[in-house]
Amino acid sequence: MKNTRRTRRERESRVLRKKRTCRFCDAKEVYIDYKDEKRLQRLVSEQGKIIPKRITGTCSKHQRQLVLAIKRARHLALLPFVSDTIR
Amino acid sequence: MNTAGKTYETTFIINASLDDAQVDAVIARVQNIISKNGGVIAAVNKWGRKRLAYSISKKTNGFYVLIEFEGAGTILEQLERSYHLDEMILRHLTIRLDAKALAAKATAPAVPPPAESPQPVPTREPLFNEKGKSEEP
Repeated sequence: MKNTRRTRRERESRVLRKKRTCRFCDAKEVYIDYKDEKRLQRLVSEQGKIIPKRITGTCSKHQRQLVLAIKRARHLALLPFVSDTIR
Repeated sequence: MNTAGKTYETTFIINASLDDAQVDAVIARVQNIISKNGGVIAAVNKWGRKRLAYSISKKTNGFYVLIEFEGAGTILEQLERSYHLDEMILRHLTIRLDAKALAAKATAPAVPPPAESPQPVPTREPLFNEKGKSEEP
């Protein structure tokens, strides 16, 4: 039987490759707007938590901007602090 | 950087149970405060009635307005004060648009506000203890 299992290095490199790019750098964003609620919605979890950059692959610079934008959006009730979809 | 003033952006949420004329009156009041204190209004953007992500003082809908203006920082004091005094304003946020934000705006001008106004705001039957409150004054 042929061994189809990936070696450890292959698996790790796959993971690494997947999270390497920052979507904001790719799009050459200079400013993340708090009003762009559709966009921000994808960067918070279903519970409304901010997704860490180790998951999304966002770079530190953009993650900081993003966090500020999300917090502003929350203040204006564009995004929930806590989503009540999960009880 | 110009010395005349900085660009600010203020967003506020008005009680959505007011009718359009009353909403306009609130907006006019805010605009008046800005211009009276030496600010120059660059843009007024009404997003319209939107559903709030969470209830603010027992309201689930709000009328969003965004005003962009230029002026000195002293306006902000007056503006914040009036926001706090106005009971029809549920929430407000005033930020300074820095060079980056302005650059982003220049490259992608007039991002239309999240348009959700076409859907009618569901009206709720007034509760027994608020009869008359939601009627027109």
